[in-house]
Amino acid sequence: MSEEAKARIIEWVKQQKKTKHYFNDLCKAVPEIKMMQAKKIINELVNEGRLKYWSSGSTTMYMLPGQDDVAKEEKGMN
Amino acid sequence: MALKFKTPMLDELEKGPWPSFVTDVKRMAARKPACEDWLGLMEMSYEHKEGHWKHGGIVGVFGYGGGVIGRYCDRPDLFPNVAHFHTMRVNQPASKFYNTDVLRKLCDMWDRRGSGLTNMHGSTGDIILLGTTTDQLEPVFYELTHDFGMDLGGSGSNLRTPEGCVGMARCEWSCIDTQALIYDLTMEYQDALHRPMFPYKFKFKASGCACDCVAAIARADCSIIGTWRDNIRIDQEAVRAYANGELVPQAGAHGSEKYKLDIKAEVVDLCPTRCMEWDGKNLKIWDEDCTRCMHCIRVMPRALRPGLDTGATILVGAKAPILEGAQLSSVVIPFMKMEPPYEEFKGFVEKMWDLWMEEGKNRERLGELIQRMGLREFLKACELTPDPRMVNTPRFNPYIFYDPAEVPGGWERDLKDFRSRHQA
Amino acid sequence: MAFDPNNLLQDRITDIGPPKYDTFMPPIVKENWGKWKYHEILQPGVLVHVSETGAELFSVRVGAARLISTDLIRDICEVADKYCDGYLRFTTRNNVEFLVSDKNKLQPLLNDLKSRGNWFPVGGTGHSVTNIVHTQGWAHCHTPAIDASGVVKSVMDELFDYFGSHKLPAQVRIALACCLNMCGAVHCSDIAILGVHRKPPFIEHDRVQNVCEIPLVIAACPTAAIKPKKVGEYKSVEINNNRCMFCGNCYTMCPALPLADGEGDGIALWVGGKVSNVISAPMFSKLAVPYIPNEPPRWPTTVKTIKKIVETYAAGARRYERIGDWINRIGWERFFERTGIEFKHEHIDDYRLAMTTWRTTTQFKF
Repeated sequence: MSEEAKARIIEWVKQQKKTKHYFNDLCKAVPEIKMMQAKKIINELVNEGRLKYWSSGSTTMYMLPGQDDVAKEEKGMN
Repeated sequence: MALKFKTPMLDELEKGPWPSFVTDVKRMAARKPACEDWLGLMEMSYEHKEGHWKHGGIVGVFGYGGGVIGRYCDRPDLFPNVAHFHTMRVNQPASKFYNTDVLRKLCDMWDRRGSGLTNMHGSTGDIILLGTTTDQLEPVFYELTHDFGMDLGGSGSNLRTPEGCVGMARCEWSCIDTQALIYDLTMEYQDALHRPMFPYKFKFKASGCACDCVAAIARADCSIIGTWRDNIRIDQEAVRAYANGELVPQAGAHGSEKYKLDIKAEVVDLCPTRCMEWDGKNLKIWDEDCTRCMHCIRVMPRALRPGLDTGATILVGAKAPILEGAQLSSVVIPFMKMEPPYEEFKGFVEKMWDLWMEEGKNRERLGELIQRMGLREFLKACELTPDPRMVNTPRFNPYIFYDPAEVPGGWERDLKDFRSRHQA
Repeated sequence: MAFDPNNLLQDRITDIGPPKYDTFMPPIVKENWGKWKYHEILQPGVLVHVSETGAELFSVRVGAARLISTDLIRDICEVADKYCDGYLRFTTRNNVEFLVSDKNKLQPLLNDLKSRGNWFPVGGTGHSVTNIVHTQGWAHCHTPAIDASGVVKSVMDELFDYFGSHKLPAQVRIALACCLNMCGAVHCSDIAILGVHRKPPFIEHDRVQNVCEIPLVIAACPTAAIKPKKVGEYKSVEINNNRCMFCGNCYTMCPALPLADGEGDGIALWVGGKVSNVISAPMFSKLAVPYIPNEPPRWPTTVKTIKKIVETYAAGARRYERIGDWINRIGWERFFERTGIEFKHEHIDDYRLAMTTWRTTTQFKF
């Protein structure tokens, strides 16, 4: 069940125009799952390298790997 | 050794009696190129009156969604050694006690892997390791966890590193064991501390008494403040000793000379509830009227001590102004015993988090959610009973949102029946 | 096993939290845990805590910059090894406390500290100006309106006598935040120094679409002042400047919206806040001076104004009155009159709940 939920979350993220998402936006992809439970699933996605964090310092967001402006910054693209 | 950049403006900050961070960093710059470039960059900021850092977006080490703040210099052409200059937040031991072994080891590690600059400590309470490159983040984390038994602190939408006052370790007024509580919460909620799930930041701060040395009431989403609900302990002989000028009032806070304390003027008349009386021989306190502000205890610490039935007042919702304006925490649990394993408290915390996670908008602090929904909804969700101690005054507007369940018959009414009594 | 950059998961340890709180505590603290009976400040900066067991712990408090190098930490360690069996602590306000359990080492420690030039000023206890808590400023922040360390150094130099003495009516807590996000919450301080921007961000239309994600920039604005806008060929944004409250959140999301402005940025001063519940309830700091230009390297106007506030307070307040208590007693009209600070339209609140701050009584002073 959790694999299926993970797939739905990733699918949802791929469909979005924005690349960065708040935790409770991701939870909208799996509305039937309690947020504390969804947290565990999202943690697994991060550990598997299928999602990445992005932080403004005060808030944190989730994104797909490779859309990462940290990498861009370090290559001098920004 | 001559440094690479002239810093005439910063040099002005080497003058004067207060310790100079410029002198300190200059000393490091002799062997740390990052410090040398940092001084050059600071001098340029002083000339331009503008900062020269960009935000990075970097969050942490693998699997962590916090603990690192990414920084890049906007003039890497001039200052290549601070081109990447990330901060690492390291969770401090509660109350910030150290021995020199661990501090030296930490210094050696940070000289090797970072700039050699730190904040002891940051506003959150963490040890701040200031300035390193992306490739050093994982090695630093590896060394912290393997060689120091240390871990990263919180940032972003995480639980932030919980912080407490010096507590029972070195304070006679502490009504709760702040270190034990803060350590327990930090360990219990490691996942929330490292992996974001909240709409925004969340802070726990615990002070042992109403003096609130960690400013819990002003900055923690959940403020835990020690108190007691029995009587102030009085040593009448010591009260008389203060009156006779045998003891130094206010523990020397106003000067260490002894003088005959005017108990009426300096204690009784300043008591916010006027709950005490001094007849020249004995101090009488009507404890049922006392609001435990600590003033009398602070003025006569050898004579008065907090009571023995101790616990904590729980307040929620404090925050700095962004966005809806600054808020102080509000009382939601007037008194709770605070002893391990803190089950009752954690039960409350989890209900509060459930509500905030479900209902909170992105970047809405708990205090703003409560302001938007009303304290009543918060109390309901956390299964707390209304209590006059939760308000300064009852409402003075008549707009009560009644729940149909509380009105006999609810809101379903028979119009026909009504019209049988009233013509249209 | 040694760290392997190619295999981060090898032998990985996570979620161990901080060292347990008693790991680095001196034996005297562990032995007298919860048994402390009373304390006394023997002289400014020197405390003794006396236990029910009769044990005495001396703490010598010294001021330090918040920004300190590993070399300075090593100096601190050298002192702690000599006099404190290697034990010390830091306070919430960036002071260092040397913990002495052998009374015979107290005076030698104080002599040693004194011999080390300006590095270790002893004080910050009782009715003093304690160390200033502050944020990063130009040293490390991306949205600062002012520097932090330099302003703090300049103010503490000027108020230095008050750090090492107990001559004020009560303690004065000063805090600095370098922009109004206040990552160091300063809004309940006796005196708060706040960095303010006064110009909305630039919009680099030719860069926005390359370096920023427009929907995220729009969502980042707390007052919803940012909208998408096509400018010629470029997908960009427009900002309703009248709604901008200068927080810099958009710049965090989008480096093509820089905010800093050497001429526009500066300092606002706030007074009368407190967090303790002693005598009066905790209070917010209120606006005293809306704007003082940035004057690096020594910020003379800011320093002078703060000194004036502290000295007017010291002269007029009664013992135990914090700055906020003193102002509440004399009234704001007297505060402005006595400090010579001009009262302007910026002082009158026009944000949410503004009317709760307007005078709704005929009780005021001429």
